[in-house]
Amino acid sequence: MKYQRVWRYSASIGLVGAVLVLYRSFLHVNNTTVALTLLLVILGVSARWGLAEATVASVIAVLGFNYNFLEPVGKFTIEDPQNWVAFLAFLVTAVTASQLSAHARRRTAEAEVRRLEIEKLYSLLQAMTLTGNARRTVREFVHRVVQIFGCGAAAFYYSPTGDIVRSGPESGPVTDHELVAASEIEEPVPDPRQIAFTSPVRLGGRTLGSMALLAPLPGEGTLRALVNLVAITLEKARALEDASHAEAAHQSEVLKSALLDSLAHDIKTPLTSIKAAVTSLLGGAPGAERELLTIINEEADRLNLLSAEVIAMARVDAGKLHLEKQLVRVGDLIASALSELAVALKKRPVTVAADQDLPPVEADPELMQQVVKHCIENAIKYSPDESPIAISATLKGEKIVIGIGDRGPGIEENERLRIFDRFFRGRKHRFDTKGTGMGLAIAKGIVEAHGERIWVESERGQGSTFSFSLPLAGGRS
Amino acid sequence: MSAGKILVVDDDPQIRRVMKATLVGHGYEVIEARTGEDALEKTPAEMPNLVLLDMNMPGIGGLETCRSLRQGSDIPVIILSVRNTEKDKVAALDAGADDYVTKPFSIEELLARIRAALRRSSSAPENGPHNFVSPDLEIDFETRRVRARGGDVRLTPKEFELLRYLVAHAGKPVTHRELLQAVWGPDYGDEPEYLRVFINQVRKKIEPEPAKPRIILTEPWVGYKFVAPAEPRP
Repeated sequence: MKYQRVWRYSASIGLVGAVLVLYRSFLHVNNTTVALTLLLVILGVSARWGLAEATVASVIAVLGFNYNFLEPVGKFTIEDPQNWVAFLAFLVTAVTASQLSAHARRRTAEAEVRRLEIEKLYSLLQAMTLTGNARRTVREFVHRVVQIFGCGAAAFYYSPTGDIVRSGPESGPVTDHELVAASEIEEPVPDPRQIAFTSPVRLGGRTLGSMALLAPLPGEGTLRALVNLVAITLEKARALEDASHAEAAHQSEVLKSALLDSLAHDIKTPLTSIKAAVTSLLGGAPGAERELLTIINEEADRLNLLSAEVIAMARVDAGKLHLEKQLVRVGDLIASALSELAVALKKRPVTVAADQDLPPVEADPELMQQVVKHCIENAIKYSPDESPIAISATLKGEKIVIGIGDRGPGIEENERLRIFDRFFRGRKHRFDTKGTGMGLAIAKGIVEAHGERIWVESERGQGSTFSFSLPLAGGRS
Repeated sequence: MSAGKILVVDDDPQIRRVMKATLVGHGYEVIEARTGEDALEKTPAEMPNLVLLDMNMPGIGGLETCRSLRQGSDIPVIILSVRNTEKDKVAALDAGADDYVTKPFSIEELLARIRAALRRSSSAPENGPHNFVSPDLEIDFETRRVRARGGDVRLTPKEFELLRYLVAHAGKPVTHRELLQAVWGPDYGDEPEYLRVFINQVRKKIEPEPAKPRIILTEPWVGYKFVAPAEPRP
């Protein structure tokens, strides 16, 4: 490096000397030709090597020109004022020309550096293949940025997972703590020592983390581009990741649902044979046998109900009840639940107080009808036979609240919350065999899957009212 | 003399056994098929009067079997299925089934449905109009021929009965329950989804614009009404 510089200076001086000697000793031409030839040499030097070499060459050329060609020859003095003008013109021209040429050279060199950095950015972009995995993208970035840009080290803090990834020979003066802190600021921190570059990484106001690079660093524009590039790539990877997670969740939901369906089928198929056979026998059976066959028939029904509720409960537990929301009129929900329970309600006075003009709600009609049914069944089970059941539907703000009230004994205060737990039965009813103990738990699961609430109000000796809310169809009513 | 020949299609042998024992006990002749493919093969040869079809079977399954059966004949089909959601019922009726019974069922219920289906398929014309003629729609109730917009239209027996009942009460709304009991039988009344499916089918066949019905109108919350198609405007 140093040797090269010395050589360049010597060569510049040598060239100027050679021209002076050539014209002084061998070719005798006028002074203008000499000056122009020297100018050419200086321009050449500045274009090839730079301003410093050209300036040295200019000074030598001016001195040599004065000494050898301007009167009085052989002295560094100038007598003729005309020669003064020529001498100054030469000096100014030489210096300006060499400056201009050196400037152009510097520009070219800068453009070359920029081109190289853009090429590196591009190869980094190519290297960070879209993996659909944000962590892998971070690891790839940290590894490649050192490889491609020749930085001393790189570190990345990915805030959604809290991972810190480092690469490069030295783990560097930027600590984990500094990295995490950098993710919370707005702009890169200027480092007066130019040892490290630390910057938050964000996209559209969303913080993705922060990164740090150790010297040697690429240019400022490239650093900004690097930050943007990694932000966009990460965000893309994250979006891909989300999409594949959603797909996987959907697959597992489909699988669960298919398993439950096949379980339902496998349980109900033998029940179908039992039920068909026993009801067929019941037709012509004499007294004593009839009683036994009736028991088989009733128990087959109970098993069927139990299996249906276990499967419904499993669906609720899977947390992914598949809701097919539609516009539903609560009047229809209540009416169809009542018609399904017509037999059980035969001796019950049922009043329905639902406003005719209630706007429709947005819900899965089959599941919501199950909720109404479970609440009515609960009322039937826990209130005296022939006591009335009151059903109401009222508009409350953006919701419609359906209430199912009975005239039962009421629920003790400490049991009111637990009543929605599966298999829970009130203290007094613990040994009743009716029901599966899952009805209200299923109802709660369905209501909550709709983002709504179910609750009970009760007064000892007066009865209980189970209520749940339903959302009005937004803006479409 | 048998009360009718019934094809029982189910992949579960125990169910076929029970059905055979019971139905034979009630005077029906029973043939069995284990799969949908098997059923489609046996139908043309055996010419059953009714098909009891399981929905969930290996192979082509109940719905596809039902559609294929429908293409060739008007044999009443009762779908038997463990699923009881409205969506499943509508899918079965859409595929051309006449009725849908949820497993497990009591044999009395099934026998009632079988009787209703058999009665329908060979139903003699009841008291009602002999024919209906308008420029867009001609119905001959004795030969069971329907012409709409100049072409012959093929209605399944149930679609035909539905239309007959509505025409007989033209201009008046007929309630869901009344229509169900008239066409399906006295045990019916709480299956409005049956009507939705079948009315849609009839509309597709006779209405100029099925999406904007002008002949069979929906009476919200009540039922349906037949309106004689108006003279086309010149």
